[in-house]
Amino acid sequence: MLKLHNLTRVYRTEDVETLALNNVNIEIAQGEFVAIMGPSGCGKSTLLNTIGMLDSPSSGEYWFNDENIAGYSEAQLASIRKRNIGFIFQNFNLIDELTVEENIELALLYHNIPSAERKAKVAEVMDKVGIAHRAKHMPSQLSGGQQQRVAVARAVVGEQKMILADEPTGNLDSVHGEEVMEMLQALNKEGTTIVMVTHSPAHADYAKRTINLFDGSVVTENVRAA
Amino acid sequence: MFKNYLIIAWRNIVKNGVFSAINIFGLAVGLMSCILIMLFVREETGYDDWIKDKDRLVRMHTAVNIPNQPAFLTVRSAGRMMEAIRDYATNEVETGMRLIQWGTTVQHNGEGFAEQITMVDNSFFNVFALPFLHGDIESSFNKPMDLVITEEMATKYFGRTNVLGETISFCCLGGNPITLKVTGVLKDLPDATHLDANFIIYLNPAMFGENDNVLNTWSSLNVYTYFKMREGISVEQLQDRINYWLNNESPMVNMLKERLGDAANGLQVTDTFQLNVMSVPDLHLNAKNDAGNMGDLTPMGDQNMINTFVVVALLILVIACINFMNLSTAKASKRAKEVAMRKVLGASRTQVAFQFLSEAVALVFIALLFALAATEIVLPFYNEIIGKNLQLMLFSDPYLLVSLCLVATAVGIGAGLYPALYLSKYLPGHILKASKSSESQSSAKLRTGLVVGQFATSIILVISTIVVYSQTLYSTSVDVGYQYDNKLVLNIRATGDNLDSLKQELLNLPQVTDVAFSSESPTQDNENNNYFSLVEPNQQGEKLEPLLLNYHHMDYGFFESYGVNLLAGRFFDKNYGTDAITQLPEGHEGMGKASVILNRAAVTKLGFTDVEQIIGKTLVLNDHELTVIGVIPDIHFRSIKFGIRASAFLLDENRFRVANIAFQSNDVSGLMDDIHRIWKQQVPLQPMNLQFLSEMMAAQYRDETTTAQLLLVFSALAILVSCLGLYGLSAFTVERRTKEIGLRKVMGANVSQIVKLLIWQFSKPVALANLIAWPIAMYAMNSWLEEFPYRIEQWYLLPICLLVGLLSLSIAWLTVGGNAARVARKNPVHALRYE
Repeated sequence: MLKLHNLTRVYRTEDVETLALNNVNIEIAQGEFVAIMGPSGCGKSTLLNTIGMLDSPSSGEYWFNDENIAGYSEAQLASIRKRNIGFIFQNFNLIDELTVEENIELALLYHNIPSAERKAKVAEVMDKVGIAHRAKHMPSQLSGGQQQRVAVARAVVGEQKMILADEPTGNLDSVHGEEVMEMLQALNKEGTTIVMVTHSPAHADYAKRTINLFDGSVVTENVRAA
Repeated sequence: MFKNYLIIAWRNIVKNGVFSAINIFGLAVGLMSCILIMLFVREETGYDDWIKDKDRLVRMHTAVNIPNQPAFLTVRSAGRMMEAIRDYATNEVETGMRLIQWGTTVQHNGEGFAEQITMVDNSFFNVFALPFLHGDIESSFNKPMDLVITEEMATKYFGRTNVLGETISFCCLGGNPITLKVTGVLKDLPDATHLDANFIIYLNPAMFGENDNVLNTWSSLNVYTYFKMREGISVEQLQDRINYWLNNESPMVNMLKERLGDAANGLQVTDTFQLNVMSVPDLHLNAKNDAGNMGDLTPMGDQNMINTFVVVALLILVIACINFMNLSTAKASKRAKEVAMRKVLGASRTQVAFQFLSEAVALVFIALLFALAATEIVLPFYNEIIGKNLQLMLFSDPYLLVSLCLVATAVGIGAGLYPALYLSKYLPGHILKASKSSESQSSAKLRTGLVVGQFATSIILVISTIVVYSQTLYSTSVDVGYQYDNKLVLNIRATGDNLDSLKQELLNLPQVTDVAFSSESPTQDNENNNYFSLVEPNQQGEKLEPLLLNYHHMDYGFFESYGVNLLAGRFFDKNYGTDAITQLPEGHEGMGKASVILNRAAVTKLGFTDVEQIIGKTLVLNDHELTVIGVIPDIHFRSIKFGIRASAFLLDENRFRVANIAFQSNDVSGLMDDIHRIWKQQVPLQPMNLQFLSEMMAAQYRDETTTAQLLLVFSALAILVSCLGLYGLSAFTVERRTKEIGLRKVMGANVSQIVKLLIWQFSKPVALANLIAWPIAMYAMNSWLEEFPYRIEQWYLLPICLLVGLLSLSIAWLTVGGNAARVARKNPVHALRYE
């Protein structure tokens, strides 16, 4: 599905140059569940943002569905992203001014889907993640676990082929963390590709493959036995 | 999607109550100012637009430029000019018409009503095709005794509009009562016209009796002259033709030579005498430039005042827009997550920018609703200040509605464009990665720049307001050279032969201390000018050509009543028996004898430096030799806005038009009642026209007072909107710096140190704004003051600037101090935890 070849990302300020990703080579196939691990500051989130087309590489190639998108414009990336990728963040990133269903619907707004169809999809996905009874609530009225379920619903409502999860359980207690992981696993079983950054080895065990990063480079890759 | 934009816009407005209120209030104030000014400007610029063929109609104004004297300007012209030019410029002029307005009394059902009648040549309706309600242009005005009135007058006197054949009695025209039959009724003229024509009658030379020089004259400027130009002829073409006629073919060529002798060599008539034509639709706003100190048929507008207030309204709107831009970008970080999330979910930058632009436009439309409500509330007060009857008829006036919607959209785009572009450029990867500040150094600098601009604008407005107010106060406090308190001015045109008994009855009132008649009272100026010849050589031994002097007629005791000083000689004195001008009997040979009093400027103009030296000298005016008996100082008989003219004061009882009544009384209304009772006895069937001189004096500065009052209101609004912006910005800044403030307190800073730190941050832009505003305001106000011959000293501007500087800093400190103190008093532990 995607392939990173000699991908490098450098952040520059006036005085400092930081090498966030250094010659990364990764290939992820459709339907995989991949965990990315490593110490703080090793480049996990940068890698995830680059895969998610929220950040662009400084050099190297990024092949997505057989297209090298490394030099694409923001608008081109947005177009590919909205059709293919859903996001889940550690801090949920729900919009405080919108209700649960409006937050989920937001993911469909930029897809030219008629209103009635949007409503139906939102209702369906809310049922799926068990948040339908909170449809009219604002994010501030929900627990962390519930907020993350809304975030999952938002990530999948557009039937995206790949979900990128940046420490999705980082702000949750163990019970809610497990719930979210089970949801991701279920999505993966349905064919959705999952790429997840995590600090938790237990949660990394849900993945079929773990990529370990250190100082911006891939140091090991472990494939879990089926 | 748009619904989603509206939902989030509304929830953000509610959530950020203070910021939203500041934005909506500021924009509402700006829009209200715009609506008020727009209503005013629309009426002022729309004068006479309704008149058929308006672009072919012009009026001719006269300007006389005598060296070393203020120019004499008037919108009138001499009675013989119209016919001469109409018959000369036949390729340019289709027809012409003269108009004279005459105050008279309509006597109806045993009562008298003061009215203005409009005497016009019979070509009036060929020039002004006014719409008839009853009758028509061909049949209603083609005989000397025809009378056309307006619908309003028909209703006033007969209670209906179809009054053809009814008669109306006027008292008097040319000294005689006259009864005319109504031959036509016009539809009422719109308010927005320079014409004031309720009773239109034939301009008949016979009506002026012995005053032949009202119409049959090249020099006495009594009539309003209009021309209708031929199709395709421009105002400039007609002007060129008139100038050619003046310089080559007109009687003025010889008159110039006669008046100036050898001095006329090399001079053209138009070097000293101009006839300027002005398009009728331009009259209301531009006639003022040609009118000197004399009025027009209706109160004149002022293009400069309109320009000033258009600029002021736009400035307030810009200040409000700056608030919006500043507050939107300042709190942008709060919307950063939303922007990032929208982009993550597929929104393009254009879509995000459009969303924020829509929010801005929606907010401006909410502000517009408040502005419309506020306009309705303040309109009566506004009308009172500007002396208009403007109305906000939004739904019956689609043009206004559409204009306001366009203005609101433009303001929304103007205010929202920068924040929209700013917010939409966020890169989601950066924003979502951490709670990283989205604030850039450049946007903070831009905000500071905008605050500087905002305050500089407000400071310029405040300085201008203070200067205009000071000048208005100065104008009204200048020593005019006479006492005008406790004076009443009674119009005595209609008294006929009862003058002496009226005077005696008035003097019998215990409150009345003196009564003196005159041709005009102070402030009334009919620009009576004539050529006076000094018989003897002047102090330099020169024999002078006749000199143009302004003149008035004053009764015995006039100067004493007004407390005017005497520089030399004496005032008019009945005991001498030689002061008054008397009508010479027919066939009288030789000159009549009378006396004249001069002002200092006239003495100087006649070539005397020592006022004593001119006493006893002789001036010739028409058929009279006038002995100079006295010299008075240069009293300001007219507004100090106009320079002092060389003036002569004569005494001709036949020219008296007003009684100047001096009184001492606390019961002024009782005195007015007493005068009214005497008037009714002495002059029955004539309405009384009695005014306080102090009010007439104040009316001379009405334009300046109006400007000052409006400037005061609008600059106060500008300051208020600026301060609200500063308040919002400081609240936001303080919130952003909570952690820093907490840390400073942990390190040992006390509350006052924190407050000082924050206040200093906001004092810098306000101080810079002062430094920018002062030179601009000083330059603008110096230019404005130059229009006034008597004006406040230029150095006054410096203390005014310093005062405004101090004031602006104080206001800024008060605005910021509250927020700063609130945060500075917080427990630092909370501050740090909060952050």
